[in-house]
This record gives sequence, C-alpha cells and structure tokens, in this order.
Amino acid sequence: MRLYLAMTAWQSWAVLRRHLTVYLRNWHTAALPPIFEPIILLLVFGVGLGSNIPDFDWKSQNVSYLAYLAPGIVAYTVFMTAFFQALFAAYIRMHYQKTWDGQLTTQVRLEHVVWGEALWSASLGLAYSVIVIFVLVGFNLGGWLDLHWSGVIATLPLLFLAGVAFAALGLLFTAIVPTIDHMNIPFYLVIMPLGFASNTYFPLESDALLAQAWLMINPLHHLAEGIRLLMLSGIWSYHLVMAVFLFLLMILILLPVDLRLLRRRVLGER
Amino acid sequence: MSAEIQNNPKPLLSAHGLVKHFGSSRVVDGVDLQCRSGEILGMLGANGAGKTTTLRLCYGFLQPDEGSVFIDGIEREKDPDGVNRLIGVCTQDDTFDTDFTVQDNLLWFGHYFRPRPTDLETRVRELLDRFDLSRYAKAKPDTLSGGYRRRLMIARALVHQPKVLFLDEPTTGLDPQARMAVWELVDGLRNEGLGIVLTTHYMDEAERLSDNLLVLKEGQVVSVGAPRTVLGDLVGEHVVVLDAKIPQAMAVESWLEKEGLGEPTRILNTWQFALDGTGLARFSAAFGELRFEVRPPNLDDLFLQLTDDDS
Repeated sequence: MRLYLAMTAWQSWAVLRRHLTVYLRNWHTAALPPIFEPIILLLVFGVGLGSNIPDFDWKSQNVSYLAYLAPGIVAYTVFMTAFFQALFAAYIRMHYQKTWDGQLTTQVRLEHVVWGEALWSASLGLAYSVIVIFVLVGFNLGGWLDLHWSGVIATLPLLFLAGVAFAALGLLFTAIVPTIDHMNIPFYLVIMPLGFASNTYFPLESDALLAQAWLMINPLHHLAEGIRLLMLSGIWSYHLVMAVFLFLLMILILLPVDLRLLRRRVLGER
Repeated sequence: MSAEIQNNPKPLLSAHGLVKHFGSSRVVDGVDLQCRSGEILGMLGANGAGKTTTLRLCYGFLQPDEGSVFIDGIEREKDPDGVNRLIGVCTQDDTFDTDFTVQDNLLWFGHYFRPRPTDLETRVRELLDRFDLSRYAKAKPDTLSGGYRRRLMIARALVHQPKVLFLDEPTTGLDPQARMAVWELVDGLRNEGLGIVLTTHYMDEAERLSDNLLVLKEGQVVSVGAPRTVLGDLVGEHVVVLDAKIPQAMAVESWLEKEGLGEPTRILNTWQFALDGTGLARFSAAFGELRFEVRPPNLDDLFLQLTDDDS
C-alpha cells in the first residue's frame, strides 16, 4: 500500500518536475518528433497506402484506411512514448547519469523515483497523444477525415492511465536488462509485436480461440478500439471499460515487481 | 577536536547493533557507532570490511536487517523523512545531475527537501563562494576537474543545512593539492558544529581529520576511540623496523615466533613488527648488537595489519 500512496507524495512530483524542467529546456527540438511523426505516418500510410486500399467494413460501418488508422496512432503514440521513456530514458538516468543515486541521498526514496519516472512517462505520452489529436483536427479541417470529437477530451485521463501502465511495463525491463544493448530483446520480441498486433495499424480479427484470447487480454487493443469507436461513431464501448480495468491491473501488478527488482539493482538489496 | 564536542555530549548520530546480510554473507555484524556535533568519526577497514555498507545503513540508502539508527534523537525507521532532512550525503561516486549546470545542481537538490531550505538562492550563492565554485556556476559538472567535482558533491550535500554529513571516500583519486583543499573544507565544517562520518583509504587523511576512529573488520567493530588509543589497542606501543637482509634474520623470526607475535610485516627490504614496552626491552636484550629503528605506530601500520590478517 505504501508504494501506491507514494504516487501522491511530494517527492514523486519533485522527480517529475525535474524531468519536465529538463525537457522544457529542449522543447523546440523535443517537440519535433511528436508533431512530425503522426503527420508523416498519416500521409504515408493513411493517404499514400490508403489510396490503394478500398474502403472496408468495420463494425458494420464503411471506413477508409486513413479513418481507421487515425485513432490507432493516438493509442500507439501513448504506448510507445510512455514505454520508451520508462525504458531508455529511465535506464540512462539510472545507469549512466546516476541521477537516481543522487536523488536517493535526499528525502526521495526509490518508490518516489519509480513513481516520478512512471508519472513523467505517462505525462509525456499524454502530451504526445494530444499533439497527435491536434494533427487529426488539422486533417479533419482539411476534409481528409470526419471524426467525432465530443468524447475525445474525456479519454485524456484514460490515455494518462495507459501511460502509467505502459511505463510500469517499461520499468520492468529497465530493472532486468543487463546492458543497454539488451534492450533490443524486449523491443523486438515484446513491444513491436504488441504494438502492431493490437488493431492499431490494421484490423486483427479472427475466429481462432488464441487470437480472441490475445485480443481479450491485450490492453492496447482495447484502447485502440475504444478510441476508434469513439472517434468514428461517437460510441462509448466496453473496450474503454476493459482498457481501464487492464491498465489498473497492470499498475497494481507491475509496479511492486518493478520496485522489488529495482531495489535489487539500484540498492543492491537481495 | 572542537570545543563543540565538550559542549554537546549527546550524539547527533548513534547506531546500535546494525546487521546487514547480502545473501548468506553477513556484511555488517552488530556495529555500534556514535558521532557528536563538531566531531569527525573516521571509519577504517580493508576492502570489504563493511565501511560503505555501514555508512549506507546510516544514511538510509540500505535498510538494516537488525539494529537502529538515530539522528538527533529521531529514529530512522520511524521517521525516515525527518532523518533525511537532517543529514547530508557525499557518495564515493559523483552523482551529479548532468542535465543541469553546477548552480542548478545545487538549486535542484534543494527541491528534494521539505521543509524547503529557506532562501535557497542565497544559500546556493553562499555555497558557490565558499567552495570556490562561483566561476563554474554556469558550467556542466562533467567539465570540472576531479577536485572541483568533489567540492560540488560536498557543497550539494550541504544545501539544506544538515546536522550530520556522511563522506564516503571524499578524496579518492584527487591530487595532493586538491585533497588538502577538501581537508580544509571538511575541517571548517567540523568547526561549525557538523557531525561528520568519513570513510577513507588514506591513512594520513584519517589521521589528520578524525577525532575518533572506528575500525571495521569483516563487518565487526574491532576498535573504536581516539586515534592513539585505537593504534595502541590494535598495533602496539612501538614499531620496530629493521633490514630484512641481516644475517640474524632467521633468529629474529624464531624470536618473534617464540614470543607468539607471528611473522613480521614485509615491506620491500624491511621487516617491521609492533611491540609493547616490555617486549621492546626483551628484544633489545636478545639482539643488542642489531641495528634497528623504533618509531611510534601510525595508521598505515594498522591498515597493513588488518590486510595482513585478512590475507
């Protein structure tokens, strides 16, 4: 319980504030990828590839590939941003920069460092998703898309929750990868497959039991489908409820494991 | 020893029965220690003796399996935040925030404490001046020389005006000039009433700075007290130094063995061994014709003895 309460502790927010301060100093270069990446992806895949793909039937609705892709990119962005921050950036702060070691000689304890990293990763994931949403508004205004916007603002807390959950997954690998070179293993064996096999970039629908089970327990799938139904049809679906449930479950399970493993790695506790 | 010690008999830091295991290894085994205001406690021991682990238990980086730590009467386990507000820590490795300048490292460190240090910017300017870091205020810490990095590490540990300062091998890797500059700073902090706990491998550093010594071996305290007392306890009153190539070498070895003193310590072409007053008299009587030097023991002798015992 102490671990979960540490989320509200001032120390956790002091760690987040530190990361925000460093980020804002380089905002002009740091903001380029989240702005240009969705534009490029939407143009290349949505407009370019999509022009060769006929409209198709999705949930009894005729949609273009561009319209299908747009909400998927919102979900994919929060997933990748939060995971990457909690994996690469946190690892560099922990291992190379020794930022954590410095923080741990103050009133900040390891649970605050972990929460600070998770909250920061989620904040950045949310911010980048909002940038993607703004890009989609531009596409909407340009007449390429016709999306429902009424419920999108209400999904922002869900995107933040998703960010915390994916950060908890990232921190798990931060705690266990022996060196930075080993990060390719979780990235290519876990993250890339998870990112794509989640109805983000293409519909993954099958009657096979295994595929059904995979989609049922895959939080990114529920996030992508929930946001898609909201944006394309204005429907609040069970996917959003499932996403909340699975993200909470991830946080409840993963964060204590992260803390235990990081205690071993950072403090030398066995 | 500063006048503060006599005026403040109550210890600022006291640890009782500290025990720490790493796996099946008992790294710290029932350590008791105390440090008062205006006192420097030097912690000595060979590699792996448990110095850094003991220090980490005291400043809260590690949790003890048994035992307790009190800072200014507050028990760490009951109020870790309260205790951490009262201590400053300078670790063995540099742990700067390399994303910030020297000045911002000090400012940001202040943000990690509650109650927030009052008038933080003035405090940072004071520290920059005192530690001769003002000209590097806008530089990144990794551009500083080793001596100035250490200064920054110590300055950072003082941002929140702690009462107890932990210094883990503060001068390792520094040139003699930089080491002496750090000694001056540490001595000044002692005179201001800080309680300082210091670990070091440099015997001259421990000898010059420490008011009290605590000697660890295999995680246990083998001696504690004023440096002269500790040396007398662990080494002996006198150290005899003689040429190892003398014809009577075998006779000396036999004599030492007969007296139960074991083998002499060998350093290059010399032998040395410690004796008490009566032992020295017996040695002189037995080897009256031999030329040898007698000197008081120092911490190098202690260190050599500890490491000899280990090997």
